[in-house]
Amino acid sequence: MATRHLIIGGGTAGLNAIRTIREEDGGSSEITLVSAERPYSRMVLPYYLGKSIAESHVFTATPASLAAWTVKTHIGRRAAQLDARNRVLTLDDGVKVEYDDCLIATGSRAAKQPVPGADGPGIHCFWTLDEARAVIAGVTPGSRVVMVGAGFIAFTILNAILSRGAKLTIVEVAPRILPRMVDEACAGVVQRWLEQHGVGLRTGATLTKIAEARGKRKLHFKKGAPLLADVVIMATGIRTNLEWLRGSGIETADDGQGGIVVDDHLRSSVKTVYAAGDVARGRNLVTGAAEVHAIEPTAQEHGRVVGANMAGRDVAYRGSLLMNIVEVCHLDVASFGQWDDPKADVYTALRSGQSQYRKLLFHGGRLTGAMICGPANDIWTTNDVGMLKGLVYSGVDLAAWKAHLKQNPFDIKPAFMATRTTGRLLPQTVLGRPSNSPELPQTVTAK
Amino acid sequence: MRVLALHPEKCTGCLRCELACSYMQTGAFQPSKSVIRVSPFESYTSYAPYTCTQCAEGWCMTACPVGAIRINAAGAKDVVDDTCVGCKLCTIACPYGTMFYDGDTAKAYKCNLCDGAPACAEACPTQAITFEEVSTADWIGDFAAQRTAYVLAREMA
Repeated sequence: MATRHLIIGGGTAGLNAIRTIREEDGGSSEITLVSAERPYSRMVLPYYLGKSIAESHVFTATPASLAAWTVKTHIGRRAAQLDARNRVLTLDDGVKVEYDDCLIATGSRAAKQPVPGADGPGIHCFWTLDEARAVIAGVTPGSRVVMVGAGFIAFTILNAILSRGAKLTIVEVAPRILPRMVDEACAGVVQRWLEQHGVGLRTGATLTKIAEARGKRKLHFKKGAPLLADVVIMATGIRTNLEWLRGSGIETADDGQGGIVVDDHLRSSVKTVYAAGDVARGRNLVTGAAEVHAIEPTAQEHGRVVGANMAGRDVAYRGSLLMNIVEVCHLDVASFGQWDDPKADVYTALRSGQSQYRKLLFHGGRLTGAMICGPANDIWTTNDVGMLKGLVYSGVDLAAWKAHLKQNPFDIKPAFMATRTTGRLLPQTVLGRPSNSPELPQTVTAK
Repeated sequence: MRVLALHPEKCTGCLRCELACSYMQTGAFQPSKSVIRVSPFESYTSYAPYTCTQCAEGWCMTACPVGAIRINAAGAKDVVDDTCVGCKLCTIACPYGTMFYDGDTAKAYKCNLCDGAPACAEACPTQAITFEEVSTADWIGDFAAQRTAYVLAREMA
């Protein structure tokens, strides 16, 4: 009998696992996908909101492509209960799915700040496709939009809201913007840039309630005047979708971050159950610590590693690099690795007139974190973004360059080239083999 | 597969490759849009061209959330313009710094080996860039190490 793989979750991790299984086995196994939603890419929803792509562009799999890959589907169904010992998943409609091995990739959901009135009309999250549709319907030219939260998710939709002709104000409880993506100096550069581009910012503002006022939303704060809005977008954090696993015996971490405890093959405490993406507490490439990295590149790499392992390969995962990039009003902001490490040697440089900022963090000769900010039309910024990733990812020895980089944090290129970082990176692949073009396999052999 | 082999010791810094590349890639003779980059060394007395190695991992390709980066007939990773949304994830995924973003089109772009006839190699008057059937490599590491040793030593002194 063919091996029965069960993929729970149709997001980035799940779809990458399916693709990789089919790359490896050409269709000889059974795959079943359980997904609450039709598979789409959350990453590109901001571009749908900004009208630069049609809704059809967001989907990462179609019924036809899943059929071509011989994937059985339960779309629109959620996992309700996992019996890991007997290898049976029960869905929310009571249907039972038996498997030989399974992947938990149920991802995260947006969490609204629990203030009175947060569940009222005109108050949205921007996380799912349905939520995106609701925001699109509400944000019209001239409408006043208040975004609660100035984190990464909020910043990914900032351009799109402005491009729809809305007036935008961002309120943040922390004393500064992007508190989990950049440091204070960088936040200051971004904040000034946004103010110059007509975005209202209010930091250190604690939302206390949202009331209805003549068809508009009235946001009240601990201090300062209330704000009126046609549409409120809550970008106040995410929660992993793991509650349904209670009682399954799958070990999860009980510190603040949570997540399913996994080994270097991304297997959970039950060896026939894998975890990937936002729900997995995988290895941090730089520190070696077990951490949840709820970012797209980690979900993608986790999914591919799990897919290869499910297909019978033996692929250990090196770990994921925490990294984010966001462009707001043509200013690029990116950070890599351990950018907030008080124990590191930290070199920074600010060219405030040009809105350029760099930060390099070292442990000995090793770059363990980096931050970069600058106008997107500065082509040298784009090159340096990738090279910084390469330096952190490869862990190349920069000891000979440390003094130079301390004096010249902007001068990354010669250090990257002269330390032969390219040569170190070239043999490295996530799956121990060259990657395939994403349109493959278009079809797989029928059993 | 044929790849771009770079021979920095032959590079004169004439930037013809950047002109040819930008014209092929974007239709404009504009070195700032070239995806091959000539880096200066030793206070602009020696130079090295640098571009995508077409690496086996294809970090840009695997990172793309919409599958917009594919392997073309020449074996190069190439951006499908109609599919790219311009999210820039490829620019942080590529550890070589060879993914580019065109602000005018709001799309990512990169070296696609000109579909098998690279304009940079054709334009190079000194064969510092050749299109050959060889394994891709770190073409400029040794050169860069050599040409920066003096600067670093002086700084340390």
